[in-house]
Amino acid sequence: MSTTQKTAPPAAAPESARRVDGLHRFLAGEGFVLALIVVYVLAVSPFANGLLTERNAVNVLSNLWPLAIIVIGQSFVLILGGIDLSQTAVISVANTFGALFIAQTFAPALFSDTVFWGSVIGEEGGALSDAGLGGTVLAIVLTVAAGCLIGLLNGCAVAVLRMPPFMVTLGTMLLFGAVAIWMTRSENVTSLPPEYLAIGSTQGGGVASFLTLSMGVAVVVAIGAHYVLSRTTYGAWLYAAGTNRRTAVVSGVPHTRMVISAYVISAGLAALGSVLYSSRLGAGRPTLGDDMLLDVIGAAIIGGISLFGGKGSVLGAFLGALFFVILSNSLNLMNLPFHVVWVVKGLVIVAAALLDVGRNRLIGGRR
Amino acid sequence: MSRTRTLAAGVAVAAFTALALSGCATTGGGGGDTGSTEKPAIDVGVSLQGKTICFGFSGSETEFWAAGIAAISDSLEAADARVIEHNSNEDPNKQLEQMNDCITQGVDGIIIIPEDGSSADTIIAEANKADIPIGVFNRPPASEDGAAIVAVADNRGVSAATMEHMVTEAEALGLDRKIRSIIMVGNLSDQNAVERRNGFYDVVDANPDLFEEPIEVQTNWDAATGQANLEAAMQANPEIDLLFTSSDFLYPQIRSVLEPLGLWKAAGEDGHVIMGGIDGDNRACNLLKDGFVDATGVQDLFTEAESLLTALAEAIDAGETDADELLLDPGFALTQDNVEEKEKDTWGCVITPPNS
Repeated sequence: MSTTQKTAPPAAAPESARRVDGLHRFLAGEGFVLALIVVYVLAVSPFANGLLTERNAVNVLSNLWPLAIIVIGQSFVLILGGIDLSQTAVISVANTFGALFIAQTFAPALFSDTVFWGSVIGEEGGALSDAGLGGTVLAIVLTVAAGCLIGLLNGCAVAVLRMPPFMVTLGTMLLFGAVAIWMTRSENVTSLPPEYLAIGSTQGGGVASFLTLSMGVAVVVAIGAHYVLSRTTYGAWLYAAGTNRRTAVVSGVPHTRMVISAYVISAGLAALGSVLYSSRLGAGRPTLGDDMLLDVIGAAIIGGISLFGGKGSVLGAFLGALFFVILSNSLNLMNLPFHVVWVVKGLVIVAAALLDVGRNRLIGGRR
Repeated sequence: MSRTRTLAAGVAVAAFTALALSGCATTGGGGGDTGSTEKPAIDVGVSLQGKTICFGFSGSETEFWAAGIAAISDSLEAADARVIEHNSNEDPNKQLEQMNDCITQGVDGIIIIPEDGSSADTIIAEANKADIPIGVFNRPPASEDGAAIVAVADNRGVSAATMEHMVTEAEALGLDRKIRSIIMVGNLSDQNAVERRNGFYDVVDANPDLFEEPIEVQTNWDAATGQANLEAAMQANPEIDLLFTSSDFLYPQIRSVLEPLGLWKAAGEDGHVIMGGIDGDNRACNLLKDGFVDATGVQDLFTEAESLLTALAEAIDAGETDADELLLDPGFALTQDNVEEKEKDTWGCVITPPNS
């Protein structure tokens, strides 16, 4: 009897500890974001007219794919403990730059004074306007390459010159935002070829309307990024460098290369996301990314990508983007005034940042 | 006990938030955040009772747009329509998402003030695909591919008429040299800006002996950009005789540049620059009466709004989902010569300016 009394407490302690640990893991993991989405949708669906319809699902997914790609790119930098504010400028520069190559015509009244007139563009269109599908693919490659170049600049400034990421990317955000406007003197690049416009369009009804090229691109990016982060040495190094830079360097992690590559990936995926946005809008737009920073950072934080570095996953980023898209969509469907939508989004991001602090306290250095 | 209290507090906060959000929902066609001080409602002619109209605009940054938005909102409300308003804050991507969300809700009609011509094309295509009639106010689509009711001013004609008067004034100066002129150009991805520039050059090209090559100042419809570029242009060319602005909302910026140079003078005073623009807003009307402005091309805001709403209401009533019509507002030039006669027909002279 006395033996039982003595041994019972130690047996109960691990059980309760396991429960607490399980709760902590749930709060810190993707399951929490998924649960948040489900609860939110169920809670607002009576007020948001059409939220649970097929048509709205197509809208939500169409909004999700480009944002998810950009948020996944941002995640690489956040996991490293940095931040990439210049993604918005990359979106503006890259989508305009790529569109210049494939536009079918340019009005001289609008473009004859621009820097690329007579070289890349002319009255008969861009340099690749006659190249069909191959030209479109090449233009997309150039778009992504332009983004990667800006990312390389950011990465070198942060890793080699040891400049603070916030200041570096704030500076390049302003710099390349201006470059985007300078390239076309703020003009939109229209008359894009059908091959390019097909990326962002939905065809047919039923299941076919869900199966878009945008979806294909986003899914491939997500799977690839998930593999890199969770199954490769590169991914392990990225988390290590984001958790503790000094320890990582001592352990042999090539920190400089990790930083540069993370910023290149972030900018490259921002450029790829911009292709999806510009194709569905039917134009290359030099101000396309101006208002996107809130959505990107907000989605990443909600998805559990820690602002303190070292934590987060591609699935979390994807679910964070999904939550943010559903949030925007539902607020529109509730017909809330413009300022209320922004207030709610701001509050959600503050709440997510608070949650991030809480998660870090709960699970410490684990990811 | 404390857990129960925390839970209760949480539920109370959640309930309050839900109530607050649902209370904010716009379902009654209110003026939204346009800040109008008057309700210039228009008789649509057809009852829209039981109909839901989605009204998307890209911002209310100028007096013209603020007044236009207020006129449309109030008129829809007066016609008993249920109005869903969306302000995309000059973000075409957001405007597309908002219009798609309206289509999801099964609205009966859409009215948009698009960010520019190409985004109008995209939204018209979505509305056509969903068989919902759509009206476009004052900013025409870049192409004629889609079916839409488009109400727009004859920007080229109104600009030319305004310039004709300004040329008459310039000739009266009896200069022994050609006229040095400046045109403040809008965002040329907006067809309105293109046509206003064309109207200006129609008159300049028709008088080759009268004009030096005009100086173009880019504004991109942005006050700060316009002011900075005008300052630079005036530094390089301090002696100008005539200034044409593609929109009246730029007059405060023009004044802040010209006044220090001693060039903000009323007609008849030494140093007066012959000035004119387009819109016919309240500021231009008052400056014209005070003699600083010589002419302004008036877009008949109420006529445009009325013709658009009436055509859309009739299309909805007739079940016509692919209504395709151009409603052209001929407009007119309000000048120093006809201000007494035409003042009552100028929207900016007869309404209290909405906040912009």
